[in-house]
Parts: sequence; C-alpha cells; structure tokens
Amino acid sequence: MARAFLRRLALSLGVVWLVTVLVFVSTEILPGDALQVSLTADEAAQMTEDDFARRRAELGLDRPAPARYAGWLLAAAKGDFGTTIIGKADVTEVIAYPLRNSVLLCLVTALVAIPAALAIGIAAAYWRGRAPDFAASSGAILGYSIPEFASGNFLILCFAIWVPVFPAVITAFTKDPPSVLLGAAFLPVLTVVIGSIAHLVRLVRAGFIEALNSDYVERARLAGASRLRIILRHALPASVIPALNSAALYVAGLLSGIIVVEKVFGYPGLGLVLINAVEKREVAVVQAVSLIAAVIVVAMNLLADAAVMALDPRARSR
Amino acid sequence: MRIDPFALRKPAALLGLALVAIHLVLALFSPWIAPFDPTELVGGRVDPPGGEFLLGTDALGRDYLSRLLHGGRMALFVTFTGVVAAVTAGSLAGIAAAWFGGTLDDVLMRLCDVKLALPGILFVSLFITGFGESFGVLVTLIGLVYFPGVIRIVRAQALTQVNLGYVKAAQLRGESAFSIIAREILPNTLDVVYVEFAIRMSHAVLLLSTMSYLGLGLSPPTPDWGLMVSEGVGQLAFAPWLVLFPAVFISTLVIGLNFGAEALAGALGLDASRGHVGGT
Repeated sequence: MARAFLRRLALSLGVVWLVTVLVFVSTEILPGDALQVSLTADEAAQMTEDDFARRRAELGLDRPAPARYAGWLLAAAKGDFGTTIIGKADVTEVIAYPLRNSVLLCLVTALVAIPAALAIGIAAAYWRGRAPDFAASSGAILGYSIPEFASGNFLILCFAIWVPVFPAVITAFTKDPPSVLLGAAFLPVLTVVIGSIAHLVRLVRAGFIEALNSDYVERARLAGASRLRIILRHALPASVIPALNSAALYVAGLLSGIIVVEKVFGYPGLGLVLINAVEKREVAVVQAVSLIAAVIVVAMNLLADAAVMALDPRARSR
Repeated sequence: MRIDPFALRKPAALLGLALVAIHLVLALFSPWIAPFDPTELVGGRVDPPGGEFLLGTDALGRDYLSRLLHGGRMALFVTFTGVVAAVTAGSLAGIAAAWFGGTLDDVLMRLCDVKLALPGILFVSLFITGFGESFGVLVTLIGLVYFPGVIRIVRAQALTQVNLGYVKAAQLRGESAFSIIAREILPNTLDVVYVEFAIRMSHAVLLLSTMSYLGLGLSPPTPDWGLMVSEGVGQLAFAPWLVLFPAVFISTLVIGLNFGAEALAGALGLDASRGHVGGT
C-alpha cells in the first residue's frame, strides 16, 4: 500500500510541476508582455521608452523566459509570488486573508454537502426507480443545470429583498475573524451547497446501485445480515468509491462555484481577488491564485486516492 | 448507432428535447421573431413588462424581449464551435491514445491530469489575462477546456475495441493507422462521442455564461443572458425581472441540454452519470 501511495504522490508532484509550466506559459507568452497588458492606453502614452525599460527591469521582464520561469518557480515554492504591477503590493499579502476566507467557505460547504449528498444518494439508490429516486435524480439535474450566478441572485431576491432576513451583500471585511465571516455567509454557502449536493448525489447513487448489485452484498444478504447492516457495513463504504475517484472534479467544481458566489455576494475571498486581477491584467496574482487552486485540487485528489486504497483492497495492489 | 425509441418517450427526455428544440429555433430565427433591434434604445429606462414592450426595457431603454431572444445566439455559436472542435479532436486523440498506447498515451493522460487540476474558470482566466476576451480566444478556450475530458472518455471506450476481431482483421489487411482509427474504431465509439458532445455542450454553455457574468467572457453590447444578469443586478430590488428573465432562459437551455444528454445516453444504452460530471 505504501508503494502504491508513493507512486501516486510522485505522479501528483509531476502534475503540479506541469501546472506551473502551464500557468507560466499561458500568461507569459503574451502578445506584448505583462507590463504592456496591465497598462491602460493613457498610461502607456505618457511613458517614454526609458520609463518602459526601467519598469521592465524592475519587474524582471527584461530577462529571457526560461530564467524568469526558474526564478518565479523558486520564489513561489518559498511562498513568494512577486509584487503587483499597479501599487507594487506583495502578492502573498494580497492573497493571504482571501485564501483563508475561501478555504473557510469551501470547508463549510463540504461539511454540509457531503453528508446530505450521501443520505440523498443512498435513498435514491435504495428506492431505485421509485418516487424518491425520481425526485433526487431530477433534482440533481436541476441543481447543476442552474448556474450559481442565477441561483445566488434568486436567493438574494427571496431572502434579502422580498423577505429581508439576510444581507444581500456581505458586510464583513477581509480580515474579520472566521466567526464574523461565516455569520454573514449563509446565502453564499447555501448557493454553493445546492450545486455541490447535485454533483455528488449522482455519483453516490451510481456507486450505491453498483454495490447493491455486487456479490458481497448478495453474500451478506444470504448470510442473513439485517437490511441496515447491509447498507451501513457492506454497501456504504463501496458506494463512496466512485465519488472519491472523481474527487478532483468535485473539488475543482467546488472552487469554481466559490469563485462565482464570492462575486455574487461580495464575499472577500480569493475569487474576488482573481476576478479583479484578471480585469486589471495583474499577471502575478492570477498565476498565484491558479497555482494555489491547482495544488489544492491535486492534494485533495491524493487524499481521496489514499481513502480509496483504505476502502478498496483491489486499489492497493495497483 | 441503435436508438431505443422507448427511452426517448420518457417525460424527462421529451422535456429535454423540447427545451433544446425551442432554444435552437429561437437562436436561429431571433432576428425575424424579435420585435425590436436588441441594441437600439427604443423605450424608457427600466419600463416594466406589459404594454408596447412585452417584457419591459433594460436600464438603457432597450427592448428586453428582443435582447432575451437574441441572448443565446452568440453564446451558442461560441460554445457549439468550441465543443465541436474539442469533441472531434478529442475523439481522434483518444482513439489514437488507445490504439498506439506507449508514450503518446502517457503524454495525453498527463495532459488530462493537468487540465483536471485546474478548475475551468481558472483555466479560462489564465489565458484571458494574457490574450483578452476576443471571439477567437473564447472559442479556442472552450475547445481547450473540454478537449482533455473528451480524450479520457473516448479512450476508455476505444480500449474496449482495440483487441476485437474487426480491428485485428483491419490490421492484418494492412490498413494504415489513420484508417484503423478513423474508419474502424471511430464508428464504434460514436455513441459515446454523441453523448459526450451533448454533455460538453451543457457544461460549455454554463461556463461561458458564467464567464460573461463575471465580466470575463462576451462583452457588451452583445445581448447575452450571463451579461444581462450582471447588468440587471443593480436593479434587483425594484426591477427583479431584469435578472429573473435571463436566468430562466439560461437555466432552461442547460436543463434541456442535460435532460437531452440523459435521454440520448438512455436511448443508446449508456450511463450518462459515469465520469462526466463537473462542468465549470
């Protein structure tokens, strides 16, 4: 098992390295360069050739691309993502608190969505083809068909404007303690939770149906195990394996949802930072956010792989 | 491709196909159906629905019904072009990976892993930061986002075919690798490819409208549902229909595509819930 896990770990590190190449290449092989892209036409018109050259040297843009990549990678590994072009702020400082806030949102969402999705998915599989299954399966399709920006604004309309019980826009500040942020974040969490449950229910349902049809559940049934014992002891562990196998997709989807919801509700997280950075063409910030997100997805996927190995003896020998 | 007609008669399947058909007709014929030019200032600011302007006007005084009717055209055109490219290239690459194996397979699979690690919105944001959000960039990005996923799914299907007799026979006849991939294996993976296309379309429509909402996709004055939601948010308290109408249009399109994909998968005897989930 240790060998299989080390192999997955090595693969994950390789993927992260390839992501760094992609992140660097996609933003650095520009028409023009990072400086030109970030300046407005007015600003550019006021600058002389010398100004350009000096700013380029300050930003290190005068060095060849491979040297810049190596420098960026080494610094990023130490947690230094450079400085912003406008305002010359330290990128690590710009993203530190928003990162914490977004991780908070992710954790709460997952804590609510995963148990709920397990319960709904298992109920749908157990009563397969009957009313609960129909309700859960159609509900799931509706849940991931409606974009978060639509459902989020709809919730604002219902619970902040028509029945004003929650604030429409988050009033908490970036550096507020977690309790204050989460206290204000009921609607954003609800918005992501809906999409999140919809994603997971299908996977859990498919996994549970497969488990119920398996030989070992048949054997347990013939051995006289109770219905509840079959569900909890025999089918449940196997039913989460398909969901765990697509953990990377789930985490990536969750992060995407969080980005949108932060914009809808003005939640001070990494998503808002990212959207502002793309609009202002702040390359260093976009690079940092993308890289962090990719590391989170890969790390979660690795954890899920370890969980699959713990649950499924067949996965250990691979 | 053998279609089971009974699977298409389920209510969910009929609903999905009907929604997609309605949206296609609207997108294709909106210039003739819409009462006004979607970008012309024809009425007062934020006129409520009813009267001369059936669904009211937006904050600039443009006829909202006309904008809604036009709102899916550009998005559907961009996503359709991008997804067709992704599915075509991804299918050929997926079969090639299954057929040749070895280094090509490894390289393509690592490519999939890398794409899988980056959420769609981030992947698109990265490139838009550098290249801007022009039409060509958006089509290319939609294609790039879905290319690796298609490779993975089609490769899995192709792997069930490569050792079958008809492929061996073609090999013994001395057919070229391209001919084996495109003329022997591809026709036997087409079922999966069609379902893949339908599912990726629903993902792509969601992704592009989300990008447009965030201000990173289609740009004004293009009538687009995602953009219209973001433009209407400021008036949410006193003119909620400015947000609700485009939200309903975009949601019905995606619901239709998803139910349609499910119906198609059911009619072809496949399971749409396997490994496809995870849109934006």
